[in-house]
Amino acid sequence: MKMLATFNVNGSDHDTVIEPNMILADILRDNLRLTGTKRACSGGNCGACTVLVEGEPICSCITLAVLVRNQQIETVEGLAELSGELSPLQASFARNNAAQCGFCTSGMLMTAKALLCKNSFPTREEVKVAISGNICRCTGYVKIIDAIMEAAEAMQTPQDQSGKA
Amino acid sequence: MKTIDLTQNKSVDNKMLYVGQSLQKPDAINKVTGQAVYTDDIDLPRLTEGRLLHCPHAFARVKRVNTDKAKALPGVLAVLTHEDAPEQKWSRSTMAEALPDFAYFGERQDERILTDICRYRGDNVAAVAAENIYIAEQALELIDVEYEILEPIFDPFEAMKPNAPKIHDDVNRNIAFQMDHPFNMGDTKKAFTKADIVVEFSGVNSRQKHLHMETDSAIASFGEDGRLTIISPSQGPHLGKKHLSERVFQDISDGDIRWISPAIGGGFGARLALGLEPVAILLARACGRPVRVTSTREEDFNGYASRTDQHQTIRMGAMKDGTLVAIEQHIVSDAGAYMSHSGTTSLVNMQKTLGLFRCDNVFGNVKVVYTNTPVTAGFRGYGNAEGAFIVQQATDMLAEKLDMDPITLRTKNIRAEGEQSFFLPCVLEHTKLQECINEGAKAFDWPNKFKGWNRKKDKGRFKRGVGMSILNHASGAGGFLLEHSSASMKVQADGSANLIISPCEMGQGILGALAQVAAEVSGIPYDKIRVISGDTDITLFDIGSHASRSMFVVGNAVSECARKINAEIRSRAVPHFQKQQINVVADQLIVRAGEIFPADQNDKIITVGEVAHDEIYNFTDKGSQICATGSYLSTSHHPNHQAAFAEVEVDIETGHVSVIRYVVAHDIGRAINPVLVESQIQGGAMQGLGFALKEDFVLDQKTGEVLNDTLLTYTAPTVMDVPEFETLLIEDPFEKGPLGAKGVGEAGLCNPAAAIANAIYDAVGIRVHSVPMSPEKVLAMLQNEGSKSPLGSSCVSGQRL
Repeated sequence: MKMLATFNVNGSDHDTVIEPNMILADILRDNLRLTGTKRACSGGNCGACTVLVEGEPICSCITLAVLVRNQQIETVEGLAELSGELSPLQASFARNNAAQCGFCTSGMLMTAKALLCKNSFPTREEVKVAISGNICRCTGYVKIIDAIMEAAEAMQTPQDQSGKA
Repeated sequence: MKTIDLTQNKSVDNKMLYVGQSLQKPDAINKVTGQAVYTDDIDLPRLTEGRLLHCPHAFARVKRVNTDKAKALPGVLAVLTHEDAPEQKWSRSTMAEALPDFAYFGERQDERILTDICRYRGDNVAAVAAENIYIAEQALELIDVEYEILEPIFDPFEAMKPNAPKIHDDVNRNIAFQMDHPFNMGDTKKAFTKADIVVEFSGVNSRQKHLHMETDSAIASFGEDGRLTIISPSQGPHLGKKHLSERVFQDISDGDIRWISPAIGGGFGARLALGLEPVAILLARACGRPVRVTSTREEDFNGYASRTDQHQTIRMGAMKDGTLVAIEQHIVSDAGAYMSHSGTTSLVNMQKTLGLFRCDNVFGNVKVVYTNTPVTAGFRGYGNAEGAFIVQQATDMLAEKLDMDPITLRTKNIRAEGEQSFFLPCVLEHTKLQECINEGAKAFDWPNKFKGWNRKKDKGRFKRGVGMSILNHASGAGGFLLEHSSASMKVQADGSANLIISPCEMGQGILGALAQVAAEVSGIPYDKIRVISGDTDITLFDIGSHASRSMFVVGNAVSECARKINAEIRSRAVPHFQKQQINVVADQLIVRAGEIFPADQNDKIITVGEVAHDEIYNFTDKGSQICATGSYLSTSHHPNHQAAFAEVEVDIETGHVSVIRYVVAHDIGRAINPVLVESQIQGGAMQGLGFALKEDFVLDQKTGEVLNDTLLTYTAPTVMDVPEFETLLIEDPFEKGPLGAKGVGEAGLCNPAAAIANAIYDAVGIRVHSVPMSPEKVLAMLQNEGSKSPLGSSCVSGQRL
């Protein structure tokens, strides 16, 4: 049963034809061609597909697309400014070599953003708990924790009051 | 991270601009913005999707296949079975093309793209191409296969018995390959009888999964000119195309294939083997359109690659003063249904394990056995982590019997510079292993942490212990493999440059490190070097990213190429200086960060851009773009070394082992980019920690089914497992390395299991014989008071205690 659905992704509305059994990750990647969101396990076990829906991190690989129509969806493509300037989290990940192969990176960034939006001063332990559902096979996680801590700090400096993670 | 510079008393050039800096790698931005393009992100005009039908039995013969219904489904473009696949057999390992005759023993070509004899649960029976993935999935369900079920065999020791069923008709007792180590020496039997102390330790490792986050995927398409383009996350596309054209598609020649490796979502050795490329090619041929075949995570667990489980026994004999006099290693490796890299990884295990210590009497033997289990392959470390787990425990047993500190015994027996190497019959030119041990021990506070062999164990439920491990690893396999590489550079009219290199970027950051070498040597700024890689039509021949070789072998090619560019820039700059009435010869000029100046007049500057622009756009009698190619052939292994120290806490009520602290010191030569080097070590160590404590691969012993084929049930390390890490980079530039560098990619993974095992012994007095050293195993051993427990005989799940 095909239907026309509207998805608000990174602030813009997108109309696309979906089936009720279609998965959000597939809609983002295949219909909207936003391929920054990755399919790595298709079972909600690794976090690579994490996007924000109304600010909450969810696994887009186990979310039925039909359930998130007309809600605010944010993907990795929405993190940087339109000018191309990286968000503090992105810049910190790049600077700290927290992205190696890059396949888990989008999910890590979105999970970290959700954390920092709720908790501007996380401890290392709180960062670990937040990303404990995201598997990274390259970095050994240390540089990812470092990057999130450093981004949190950068967002507190007077130069950047935008609060954009 | 701490760098320990051993060069303070040597005259070295410390004025380097880029080398030694933790610069941001060129692909970092694309990876944090989601713009990096992986195989599954690519769309091509008329692209179709392929899927595979897998055999649900561990050993079966296909009696009959009916594909009529699948073919009739609208949107289906091709349905293929063994009848449509070439008869030629191939190996997932491409190493046959890179090994010289004397080492070409084990690379059996034993697999068909689609088979009628299914040798593991997951073997490829049929393939479908359709307009989209949903139709392809439906078509698979419409294929009707009748199987004759055969008696499977899962245990390699059962498989070697004379009356065992044959998995491959042409292989007796299922022994695919066996050999003695090519450099065995002395007489171990005699030496063991003369030794004061002899220890023996045996064990096995589980089939750790690579678990690259991107599952396997391949796109094949034929152009109007008949040329084949493959897009896949390959670690070695040049060898891959040679292998495919030589072994499978003999009507296609090497040059007819263009192989593109886009961004790779993790490799760890798995992408060294071929995966879905051959079946994608077969489907693309059949339907005349581009085809992408992508595997699910479950398919990846059931059919793709894992570490080979190597059953090992090691004996070591020493004199009272600790001098090692004999070492013997016997390996039985379970290849799974097809051989792939299992033979070469077993050989490399012997090479590393038997090569670590100075010893006059050495014997190694390996047997590689087929079973009806999924195929195993090469995995980061390539046998070294497996060997270290056994030999480092045996070394500690020897130390205990001699009542020596583990450091003292190792120090007494490691090979020193100038001594004979065991990797190849040649001299060990550079090693800082002793410095790794010393500095690591200092950082770990070993003298205070290790309280001797007879110390009282901690009281209470949680018991702490410490352990160590050391290793040597190759920086490329010169002397064994085709270890040559070439790089090229061209300078653009604005003074920027393209660096064209072969290594595939799978996360290791090699493109950045090589660009730093190019920038340092050529004099062109790092941020003006644009790296191009991953396209065999553009890059020069290279055997791929593995064996910790890219920094060393490709780095030397880049260095040579950049040296030529530097010379070209200087000689072409001379007329520019003359125009300004500055008379210089090329040798008096220095190129640095895009500027050219005479050595004694650094205020007279011409930019590389001015010279490069003039060479291209000035209408004179000359005119040629500045460009160069550099090549390097490595003839030895140039080992890098590492020492690691672990502190663990064992919960004796649950058997759970936590790593509290991990200190690792690496003999890097020179760290071109310290953060990239540290990342390799940390990432490897976490994989090693997973190998040590968590990662199991459990097969149902009746059906051969993989019981933990998801990322939920296969427990990979998460951020919650991260211990307190300390990394020490021991720097002493190696004159044969590019600006002094040696390799680092694999070593980090190889020490943790061994160091942790020794720490568990220190904590609770049990020696675990198999990885993972999971809670139930540790608990069972604690309850049996350290005796060998007969818990299961499964080799694949590493349950053999």
